[in-house]
Amino acid sequence: MKILIVEDELDLSKSIAEYLSEENYLCEFASTYVQALEKINTYQYDCIILDIMLPDGNGLHILEELKRQHKQDGVIIVSAKNSVDDRVTGLQSGADDYLTKPFHLSELMARVFSIIRRKQFDNSNTIKNNELQIDLLSKTVTINGRSIMLTKKEFDLLIFFIGNKNKVISKITLAEHLSGDFADMLDNHDFVYAHVKNLKKKLYDAGCDHYLKTVYGTGYKWES
Amino acid sequence: MGKLKTHRMKPLLSKTTKPFVLFLLIVLTISIPVYYYVIDVIWQDELDEHNEIVAEKTAHELNRLNISGEDLQKNIALWNQIQPGTNIEKITSKKIPKDSIFTEEKYKPFSADPTIERYRSLKKVVFIKNSPYLFTIETNIEETESTIMIISFITFFFFTLIVIGLVILNRRLSKIIWAPFNDTLNQLKIFNLNNQSKINFIKTDTKEFEELNESLRRLIDHSISVFKGQKEFTENASHELQTPLAIIKNKLDILLQSKDLTGQHYEIVEEINMALSRSSRINKNLLLLAKIENSQFDIVEIYIDEQVKHSISNLEEHIGQKNITLSTDILENVKSRGNISLTDVLINNLLINAIRHTSIAGNIKIELSKEYFRISNSGIEGLNPDLIFKRFSRFSNDNNGSGLGLAIIREICRFQNWEITYTFENDNHTFSVKF
Repeated sequence: MKILIVEDELDLSKSIAEYLSEENYLCEFASTYVQALEKINTYQYDCIILDIMLPDGNGLHILEELKRQHKQDGVIIVSAKNSVDDRVTGLQSGADDYLTKPFHLSELMARVFSIIRRKQFDNSNTIKNNELQIDLLSKTVTINGRSIMLTKKEFDLLIFFIGNKNKVISKITLAEHLSGDFADMLDNHDFVYAHVKNLKKKLYDAGCDHYLKTVYGTGYKWES
Repeated sequence: MGKLKTHRMKPLLSKTTKPFVLFLLIVLTISIPVYYYVIDVIWQDELDEHNEIVAEKTAHELNRLNISGEDLQKNIALWNQIQPGTNIEKITSKKIPKDSIFTEEKYKPFSADPTIERYRSLKKVVFIKNSPYLFTIETNIEETESTIMIISFITFFFFTLIVIGLVILNRRLSKIIWAPFNDTLNQLKIFNLNNQSKINFIKTDTKEFEELNESLRRLIDHSISVFKGQKEFTENASHELQTPLAIIKNKLDILLQSKDLTGQHYEIVEEINMALSRSSRINKNLLLLAKIENSQFDIVEIYIDEQVKHSISNLEEHIGQKNITLSTDILENVKSRGNISLTDVLINNLLINAIRHTSIAGNIKIELSKEYFRISNSGIEGLNPDLIFKRFSRFSNDNNGSGLGLAIIREICRFQNWEITYTFENDNHTFSVKF
């Protein structure tokens, strides 16, 4: 999988690349608008991580350029701006997702995973993990052909883990993923534990292997 | 912005017209006696001259007659009989009286209608055939009352004419003269800094209006540039701070993947994560506050009941987690004017606040009616209502909050013209938002 990281902060792009590269993602960098244009003109990417505030131009123009060239690259906008207007403008310009800084790399990776799946498998978008099969379109999960019922949050968690295979994900990260903006306002993150416990139980009861491991007491890791 | 109290307001034109008309009335009223005086003086002068001429001419003619003294007396008697208003009388006394001019009023002697007439009279000594005669002549002069009445009538007629003309002219002119001003006014009414739309005043050849437009143009340009600067600062500050926060967060995520990580390290990473979330929330909230204060939000019609329900469903599990009993009384179709995202923040902040500060197995009550949104939660001790909405004033030992939640709520209420109040009664904290 080829990923282009358009980001003027080298520390950020390095971290992103380091995190993603462990999972067969091949990352390339562009730190300016001009470099980014050159890259998209020459190559095809599965996903572009695009910071729209670049020193020499607005990242939104890259989206326009992609549209003009009829390219199908998936795009995640990464922005320090968290205004509804920017989000709407970004998504209307053809971006697939919008992530506000600061974000967890696991959050980014889960979204990159989803976008690539969506772009590559338009009609039958199913993830297979041995006995586990997830249909992303109908949001159904089957284990050894038998479907199991998950709540919206449990399904969300499962996709998040699958998108972050072999990564340690801390409780706070999960809390932020599940409750978005209010996670840090809640003094108690036990709800994460409750959801994960329920998910585990449903998977194991249906005969799924124990892929989801608890690490360091409160962290989790999907090993497969 | 308060509505203009139109019933007490008058257009500028009527303000200038009224004193002008009043002034005109005073001047014209004063002019009546002046006119009368001037006309009367001229008239009397003319009549005096006329009387003098008649007296002299009569004496001259009588002197020229070549008749005897007896015939003269007969002629004078005849003269006195047929010539009304004059009388020639021989002076018998030794002393010759002085000439006199006077005005007198008397009944018309020959008319059936006994109206008082005013006369201008001359008593003059003339010499006829070397004998002194007292020549009396009286000429009718218009009475004071009727002169004044005629002048008053004419004055009043012209006054009415001027007022009518003034009103019509004002009405016509105001449309033309005030057109640029009204245009400026209408443009200002719809001007909104948020839209960043430039104002184009129409050109005018009225000096004052052009000056006004020029000053407004400068004021607006300045405001726009300040506003833009502030907005840019807000955004830049956000960008500058979010980036280092993002770097720290990402480095922690990478650190978590390290093979050599111990449980103790993991705990440290989590604690840093927690503090990091808080600082990025404080940063976000400060920016939000700045943005609200800059009015960088649109106000539209919103359905509050839907937003309240959505917020409750988002936070339900956290209420359940603490074994809190939630009771709701939410009216359907509650509409008000506000900003959707700000109202979301308002409702979420109030609800999260209640969840955080309610002890395990406490109560939260949410009410929504046409007029207000009210959220109460059980507590032990009331808070100081004067300090509660201040920035960074903390009341509890938990340090998870940004210290800005309630300040933001108050700013949102102020921005949307809502009213927030806090009360503590019967062991219940209550926040009420009146739309």
